[in-house]
Amino acid sequence: MVRPGEHDILLTSMHNLNSRQESAVQRANYMWMWFSKLGSPKWFYELSGKWLPWLVVAMSLLLVVGITWALLFVPPDYQQGNTIRIMYIHVPFASISLAFFPLMAVAGTITLVWRMKLADMVAKTAAPLGAWFTALALASGSIWGSDIWGTWWIWDGRLTSMLLQFFLLVGVISLRSALEDAEAAAKACAVLSIVGCINVFVIKYSVDWWNTLHQPSSGFSLSDQAPNPPEVWIPLVIMIFAIYLFFAVSLILSIRNEILVRERRSQWVEELVQGT
Amino acid sequence: MKPHRQKRLGIVLFIAVSLSLAIGLTLFALSQNIDLFYTPTQVAQGEVAAGQRIRIGGMVKEGSLYSADDSLMVQFATTDYVNDVMIHYEGILPDLFREGQGIVVEGSVDAAGVFRASRVLAKHDENYMSQEVKAALDAAGASATNHPLTSQPES
Amino acid sequence: MFDSIQFSSIGEFFSMGGYAFNVWTVYTLFVLFFAINLYFPLIRKKQILSEQKRRLIVNREMQTLKNDDGENS
Repeated sequence: MVRPGEHDILLTSMHNLNSRQESAVQRANYMWMWFSKLGSPKWFYELSGKWLPWLVVAMSLLLVVGITWALLFVPPDYQQGNTIRIMYIHVPFASISLAFFPLMAVAGTITLVWRMKLADMVAKTAAPLGAWFTALALASGSIWGSDIWGTWWIWDGRLTSMLLQFFLLVGVISLRSALEDAEAAAKACAVLSIVGCINVFVIKYSVDWWNTLHQPSSGFSLSDQAPNPPEVWIPLVIMIFAIYLFFAVSLILSIRNEILVRERRSQWVEELVQGT
Repeated sequence: MKPHRQKRLGIVLFIAVSLSLAIGLTLFALSQNIDLFYTPTQVAQGEVAAGQRIRIGGMVKEGSLYSADDSLMVQFATTDYVNDVMIHYEGILPDLFREGQGIVVEGSVDAAGVFRASRVLAKHDENYMSQEVKAALDAAGASATNHPLTSQPES
Repeated sequence: MFDSIQFSSIGEFFSMGGYAFNVWTVYTLFVLFFAINLYFPLIRKKQILSEQKRRLIVNREMQTLKNDDGENS
C-alpha cells in the first residue's frame, strides 16, 4: 500500500534501476499515482469545482429543452393521451434509480480493498440520493397508473422489487447511522450494497420473467411511421441525459460537503475556510 | 456484557438480519411463481379452484362487451385468443378499458360458475405513438398490436 | 416528423386533456425535488464553512490564552 506522501521516495529510489525496468516500473507507478490521486479528496474537490459550472450549464440547457419538448411538442399518445408526458419524468428517474446499487457496490468494493477515502464518501452520499430518486420514480409511476391502469399500486414483480430497492436504500442509510465506528459502518454498507445489486437484476428483468401489470421496456424505432417513433423517444433521451446530469451535480455537491467535514483538520480545508 | 459490546452485538445482528432478509426475499422472488395473473387458458385447464380469489389477465374480446343502461354493471369476455372467460363486474372501469384492450381482473368464480370481478385494471403495452401514426399503421394493415399478453414468452 | 405545439390555447394546455392532476402533480413533484436537492447541499456547505471558521477562531484563541498563561507564570 502506497500512501500519497511516499511517491517521492519511490520515484527517487527508481533512479537506481536500469532503464528498461525503469520505464515499466515508472508506468506502473504513474498509474498508481493517478489512481490514488483520484482518491484524494483535495484533488476531487478542486477538479469538481472546475467542472461544476459546466455540468450545471449543460444540465439546465437539456432540462429546458427536454421539458419544453415533453410538455408542448410531444403528440398525445393514441391510448394514453397527455399522460404520456409523465413518461418524460418517470422513465429517467426509474432508469437512474437502477444505477445506485451498482455505483455503491463499486465504491464499496474500492473501500473494502483499497480503503480509498473518496470511495466511501461516494457510497455514503449516494444512498440518500438513491432513496429520493427511487421514491420519485415510484410516486410518478403511481400517479400515472392511478387513471391509466385504474390503480395507484399493485404488488406485481416490477413495483414490488422497486419498493424493495427503496427499503434496501433506507436500510443502508440507517445501517450507517446506527454504527458509531465510521470504518465499520463503511464496511457494513459496502457489503449490503454489493448484495443489494441482485435486486437490480430482479427489477430490470421482472417484466420479462413474470407477467406483471407493468409493461415491458420499450424499444425505439428510427422510422416515424412505427410504434415509439423519434418524436416520442428523442425528447426522452434528452430528459434522460438531463436527469443524469442532475444526479451528477447533486452527488458532487453532497460529496464536496462530505469532504469539507471529513477533511476539516487538513491544512488545505483550513486555508479554504479562512479564505471565506 | 459491556454496553459497547452489547451495541456491537446488536449491530451485527441487524446486519445479519437485513442481509438475510434481502437475500431471502430475492431468492424467494426468483424461485416462486410471482406472476400477477392467470391466463384464461390456465383457468380453463382447471388450475384454479372455485371460490379462490385470483387475477385473470387477457384481452377484452371484441364484440363481447355488454354494459347495463341503468347501472355500472358490465359483462365481457376476456381472452388469450385460445380460451375465453366471462367476467361480471360492477364498478368504475379504468380510462383505457375498451374492447381489444389488455386487462387484469381480480375476483373469484361464484357457485353459478360466473367470474365476479371486484376490480378491473388496464394493462397497456410498451408501444407509444400518436393517433396519426396509429391510424397510418392500421391503414397499412401492419397490426400495431396491443397484445401485451401474447407478446409474453410464456403466459 | 416533429410536430408543432400540441395545444391551441393556454386553457387547453393546463387541462392536459383531462389529465391535469396527473401530469401537473408529477411535474410539480419534479420541480420541488429538483429545487430542494440543489438548495440543501448549498445551505449545508455554508453551514459547514461557518462552523469550521468558528472552530478555527476558538482554537486560535485557546492557543493565545495558553501562551499568555505560559508567559505569566
